[in-house]
Amino acid sequence: MRRLAQGLLIWGLGLGLALGLPGAVWKGAAPPPFPWEALAPTALACGCLALLAPCLAWAGGPTLTGRRPLALLEAPPALLWGGLLLALWPATWGPPGAIAYLLAFLAAALPSEVRWLAQALPAEHPFPAAWGPVAVGRVRRIVLARLWGRWLAARLPLWLTATLVLERMLGRPGLGTDWLTRVALRDRRGLAVWVLVLALLWACSQGWEEAEA
Amino acid sequence: MRWRLAFLGALLIPDLGLDPFRGGLLPAFRHPLGTDDLGRDALLRLLLASARSLGFASACALLALALGLLLGWHGRQLRGGLSALRSLPPLLFLLPLAAAAGGLSPAATWLLLGALLAPQLEPALRVRLDAFRRSSAWAAERTLGATWPSTLRRWAPWGWQQAAALFPSAWLAALWSEATLSTLGLGPGPGHDSLGRLLAEELPRLGSDPSPLGWAALAMVLGLAWRSAPAQGA
Repeated sequence: MRRLAQGLLIWGLGLGLALGLPGAVWKGAAPPPFPWEALAPTALACGCLALLAPCLAWAGGPTLTGRRPLALLEAPPALLWGGLLLALWPATWGPPGAIAYLLAFLAAALPSEVRWLAQALPAEHPFPAAWGPVAVGRVRRIVLARLWGRWLAARLPLWLTATLVLERMLGRPGLGTDWLTRVALRDRRGLAVWVLVLALLWACSQGWEEAEA
Repeated sequence: MRWRLAFLGALLIPDLGLDPFRGGLLPAFRHPLGTDDLGRDALLRLLLASARSLGFASACALLALALGLLLGWHGRQLRGGLSALRSLPPLLFLLPLAAAAGGLSPAATWLLLGALLAPQLEPALRVRLDAFRRSSAWAAERTLGATWPSTLRRWAPWGWQQAAALFPSAWLAALWSEATLSTLGLGPGPGHDSLGRLLAEELPRLGSDPSPLGWAALAMVLGLAWRSAPAQGA
């Protein structure tokens, strides 16, 4: 309870900061509309990640955390994948589209999410490995199903950062850019809504944090 | 850790001289990667910018670890607050802040990045420090009534050793955060040449008007990432 109160206090401070953001734009501008058109591509990208990562973690199991190829894929920042996409994208094809954005996002976020989930899986030796592959698969499925909600809540802010970086690099409007635009235009109410959403995600992930502690 | 710390010295190296009349030269024997638009040797600039980025990341990681140690030792009562701070990725806070302020100075970026990375390092440091707190060595120290300066003198190297194990991950997080800020044009100003600034200049034209410097900068990022990946996974 004390931890929750402390966390809420921090988020309250964040809310105060958002509502009292100093500065003003030199030319009065209306707050930007919420980018509804960007919601579907972002939801698609996050949905793909939310489904693919548990499936890969289920298939690979806890031994995935020790795999060098996964560590190599995880090491580069999101900007590298965005940069490579820009570099290799043929200019005659026009600007990179939604599919290219989705691929860059998955390349940036999928390896670390798979490792995150694989790390959370319990050890399998001697049991349930001794009971056979069916039991192993079942244990993994149960653990991942229990983790799924809190994992999403804990990691969504990170995915938002990855989308922000890629959106800026690839010049696509999206949810991450919306957060940045509202700061630039001093849309304090819109920012407050964002802070409340992030606070809600933090509160949803708290069960996991306690178990970790 | 030592090779990373060695790059701190690169922060003191002066900028390369400008010679706009020799800008945009193609690769040749004297300039293996050619020259950039302002006439600087591209290879020298790539090496200097990378060294500065590595040095800056080392400085950030040192600050983050020092603050993380303080939080790990004294922050037991603040776990809820630290957990809330951890849930916000540093870049999600830094990017809008830099956009609102029209860019951040190197000192401000160093301070903010160090302060934002410290709560991320705190749980791992706390686990190590808590084990020490429960040890007989610490009990003996307290029973004998050792003063703070003498305790610090005896145990500071041990504490630093614990922190040093986390240095590579803090260093990598700082390196990529600064590079991302600079690549998006929101990092330290033109006076602070870095790998991210190089990418910010070269990436937009890489698809249509590629230069060896742009490709070399991308290869440098890839090489750094792969060099920093743990040998046995994390």
